[in-house]
Amino acid sequence: MQKVLGFIGFSLMFVACSHDHSLPILGNRTPIEKMVDGKMVVDTEYATVPDFFFLNQDSIAVTQETVKGKIYIADFFFVTCPTICPIMKKQMIRVFEKYKGDTNMLLLSHTIDPEHDTIALLKDYSTRLGSDGKQWMFLTGNREAIYDMAEKGYYATAMPDSTEPGGYVHSGGFILVDGLRRVRGIYNGTDEAEVTHLMDDIDVLKKEK
Amino acid sequence: MRIIFQYLMLVFLFSCSDSELVSMKQISNGAQLYKSHCANCHQDNGSGLAKLIPPLQHADYLSKNAKQLPCLIKNGYKGIMNVNGIAYNMEMPAARGITDKEIADICLYVLQKFPEKPIQLADSVIDNQLQNCE
Repeated sequence: MQKVLGFIGFSLMFVACSHDHSLPILGNRTPIEKMVDGKMVVDTEYATVPDFFFLNQDSIAVTQETVKGKIYIADFFFVTCPTICPIMKKQMIRVFEKYKGDTNMLLLSHTIDPEHDTIALLKDYSTRLGSDGKQWMFLTGNREAIYDMAEKGYYATAMPDSTEPGGYVHSGGFILVDGLRRVRGIYNGTDEAEVTHLMDDIDVLKKEK
Repeated sequence: MRIIFQYLMLVFLFSCSDSELVSMKQISNGAQLYKSHCANCHQDNGSGLAKLIPPLQHADYLSKNAKQLPCLIKNGYKGIMNVNGIAYNMEMPAARGITDKEIADICLYVLQKFPEKPIQLADSVIDNQLQNCE
């Protein structure tokens, strides 16, 4: 009897573990009508991250073409941030170390203090964190464009706030984006367990066809 | 067995002098303050952040400059700091919203917890340092 129960328990555990969940697609959905083989069908158009133009720590342009067909993680920070950024960066190092060398994965960290965080400063920051500068890039650009991208592209908060330590308020989210520029998940980048969850979800996304 | 354990605990407690108990309370308070004021950058375990934020764990700088710690926390630090052979250059902000007494408790905790061998600074030394920070 004990053996039978043990077998059932083990089987249930195996079934539960082998079940791959699929990731949601975040954002608004728009129904669109189109002709397929002479018939009118209704399809769904998903929200995508808008086109963008930023410069990385090596003054190289990073645009929607850079991320085309690649899975990437976006986050927001500023160099002098005394609160959540160092914790987020510690967690991002974990993600970088796991996927280092994977040419289909990018990490894009956007500064929300572009006046202070010059390209030279971002270069130093990047090097000190151990980034290769190609897979994990530190982006800057027009302040409004960065804030707009945070809000509309990645559903994140980023804005000046003189009452906050460091002078800015921003979310600590790691935003997971698929190869079609669709946001597939937002994870708390200050929480080790959530970042582990993010890495599990990246592996799920990689298997998606 | 349980009675013996309780008896031993009582012996242990009563064997501490008043000053030792005060010091233990200060270190415990310092641990809480460290978590809310220092751990974001230096991390809970004092490991720092890559080559950006220096570690406290087994930091040679800390062992060599223990007496400077109170003013370093109070005023912050700007410029290059060499720790365990690495030159760090991230500005450390001055402590805001905490009292000298709380800074003293953080110092006691940090010097107890992170050097290879715990370092003890007398309260009077810390007070004197804090009153004469440049």
